[in-house]
Amino acid sequence: MTARGDGLAVEAAGLLKEFEKGRRTLLQRLRREPDRRERFRAVDGIDLAVGRGEIFGVLGPNGAGKTTTMKMLATLLEPTAGSARVLGLDIVRDAREVRRRMGAVLSDGRSLYWKLTARENLEYFAALYHVPAAEQRDRIARVLAAVKLDDRADDYVERYSTGMRQRLVLARALLPDPELLLLDEPTVGLDPQSARDLRDRVRELQEQGRTVLLTTHYMEEADQLCDRIAIVDHGKVVALDTPAALKRTIGATEVVHLEIAAEDGAPPNGGFLGRLERAGQVAHREQREGTLAVTVHAESAREFVPAAFDAARAEGAAIRHVEVVPVTLEDVFISLTGRALRE
Amino acid sequence: MSATSLLADVHAFGAAALKEWRLLRRYPTLFVGFLFWPIALPLAYVFQARGYAGDSQAALDAFAARAGTTEVAGFLFLGWAAYMWISMILWGPGTALRTEQVRGSLEALFMTPVSRLVILFGPLLSQVVWAVWMFGIVAATLALVFGVDIALASALRALVVIGVAVPALYGLGALFASVVLRYGEVSALVQGVRGLLTVFCGMSFPIVVLPEWGRAVAMALPPTYLIGDLRRVLLAGAGLAELLPSLAVLLALGVLLCGLAVVAFRRTERYARRGGSLAQY
Repeated sequence: MTARGDGLAVEAAGLLKEFEKGRRTLLQRLRREPDRRERFRAVDGIDLAVGRGEIFGVLGPNGAGKTTTMKMLATLLEPTAGSARVLGLDIVRDAREVRRRMGAVLSDGRSLYWKLTARENLEYFAALYHVPAAEQRDRIARVLAAVKLDDRADDYVERYSTGMRQRLVLARALLPDPELLLLDEPTVGLDPQSARDLRDRVRELQEQGRTVLLTTHYMEEADQLCDRIAIVDHGKVVALDTPAALKRTIGATEVVHLEIAAEDGAPPNGGFLGRLERAGQVAHREQREGTLAVTVHAESAREFVPAAFDAARAEGAAIRHVEVVPVTLEDVFISLTGRALRE
Repeated sequence: MSATSLLADVHAFGAAALKEWRLLRRYPTLFVGFLFWPIALPLAYVFQARGYAGDSQAALDAFAARAGTTEVAGFLFLGWAAYMWISMILWGPGTALRTEQVRGSLEALFMTPVSRLVILFGPLLSQVVWAVWMFGIVAATLALVFGVDIALASALRALVVIGVAVPALYGLGALFASVVLRYGEVSALVQGVRGLLTVFCGMSFPIVVLPEWGRAVAMALPPTYLIGDLRRVLLAGAGLAELLPSLAVLLALGVLLCGLAVVAFRRTERYARRGGSLAQY
C-alpha cells in the first residue's frame, strides 16, 4: 500500500480513458491482424483535487465523461493514461484497499436483489465489504436508519418505490463506513420529493465528516449541494470553482431571456442584435419559426430591459416575451461551451 | 493476503451461499419442476432398453458384462441424474453472472473488496442443493419403483464421490462463467459441451462400447469418473478404497480446472476493466 498523508480525498492527474469502437472478430484475432479499430476518448486528461470533507460535484451533459471518471476512481475501469489517488491510495496498485475504504453509488435500484428484503441485501453486501460478523447487525441498522428505511427493512425490495430503492443503494454504499462516497447521478429518475430527500441524506453524510464526490447533469442539484464544482465537457474540465465563483465568471448578475419577432412576421435582423450587444452580452440565440430567442447576460435587468425595447422599436421588431432570472450554472456552461447542458 | 482478510472472504463465501439459497427459496416451483425431469427422462430410456432387449437373459448378461451391473434402471437413472446436475452447473454460474451483469449488480459486486473467487464460485454453492435434490429423487425412485436396494453406507460413499467431483465440475462451471462475462453469450458452447458429455461420458451406456479413441476422450472428462464411480458404489457395492485411483484423477482434474477457471476469470476481469464491459449487456 502506498498511502500518503496529505489532506486530499481524491487526486487525479491527467486521467485519460480511451475505448475501442466495435469488436475484433475471432478471425482477426486468429490471423493476428493489427487492431485497426477507431478509438474514442471518453476522458481526456482530467485533473482533480478533492479535499476531505467536501461535497465536490462534477457537472456536465450526458456523454461528457463523468461516469467514466467515476468508474476509474471506483477501480472498475483501468485508466489508459494518467494517475489517480483515492484517500492517498493508487487506484490501480492499491485497488483492493481503495474498495475497502470507499463507498460508491454507480447504478440504480436495478442493482439490488429484488427478491430479497432490504436487510438480506445488506447482509450479503456487508459480508462482501468484510464487515466483521459481530458488527454486522449494528452496521446494517445504522445505514438503514441513515437512509430512513429502518421501518421497511424486512420488506422485499420488489415492493419498494424507485426512491426507496435508490436510498437502499446509498445504504449499501455506506456499509464499509466509507471516508469517501462516489455518487454517479444519484437522483436521476427520482421524483422531486425523493430527489430532495436524497440530497438531504447527502448533506447529512458531509456533516458526519465524509467526503462526497458526485456527478450530475442537474445544475440546481450541483448548485445546492456542492462546495466546489468541476464543469466537464468532451472529457475535459472546462472550469472548476465554487458555484458562486463560477457564476461570477460570466460577468453578469442577471440573465434576460427575450423572444422577439419583426412586425412583418420575419425574424429580426442583425442590426437589432448589434443594439442588444451594446446593452448586454448576448450569450445564446436561436431562431424559432419567425421569432428569435435570445439569452443575454446583463449587469442590471432594470437597465437592460428598457434598452432592449428601445432597440426593438428602432429595428421594427416587437418583444413578445421577457423573462429575468438569476445567473445559474447552466449559463456558465453555455458561456463556456456555447451549448446548453441538456443539448 | 492477511489471515483476517482470508477469514472475511470465507465469511463472504458463506454469505454468498446464503444469498443464493434465499433467492432459490423464493421460487419453490423450481423444485416441483425438478421433481418431474429426473424421473421422466431416464424412465424413457428404461422403456427403450426394455423395448430393445425384452426379457432376454442373453441381453442382460451382455449388459452386465459391459456395465458391471444388472440394474438397468439404476444405471440409467444415475447417469441422467448426473447429466442434469452437470448441465445445471454448466449453465448456473454463467447465467448467474450474466444476470448480475444485465441487472447492473455486477459492478456493485466488483466494487467490494471481496476476493474474486467468492464472486466466481459463490453462485455455484446453490448447485449443491440441486445435487442433493436430484440424487435424492433418483434414490427414492430406484428404491420405491424399481426395488433397487441402496444401503446407507453406499449412499454415504456416493456423497463422498459427489464431494470429490465438486471441484472438477465447479471448475468447468466457473470456466463457462468467464466465457459468459467475456463474450456475453455462451449457449452455443454449452450445447456443444453437453453434446460431448452425452456421447462420451456414458450417461446411458457403458463407455466400453466406445471405440478406443472415444474411450480416451471419455477418460479426459470429469463426468465420466463421477458417473462411473456413482454406479460402482451404489449398484455394484464398491468401497472407496477400490475407487481411490479414479477419485485421485477426479481430484487432479478438479485442481486443474479450478486453476484454469481462476486464470480465465482474472483475464476476463482485466479485459472488462480495460474495456468497461462489466456493465455492458
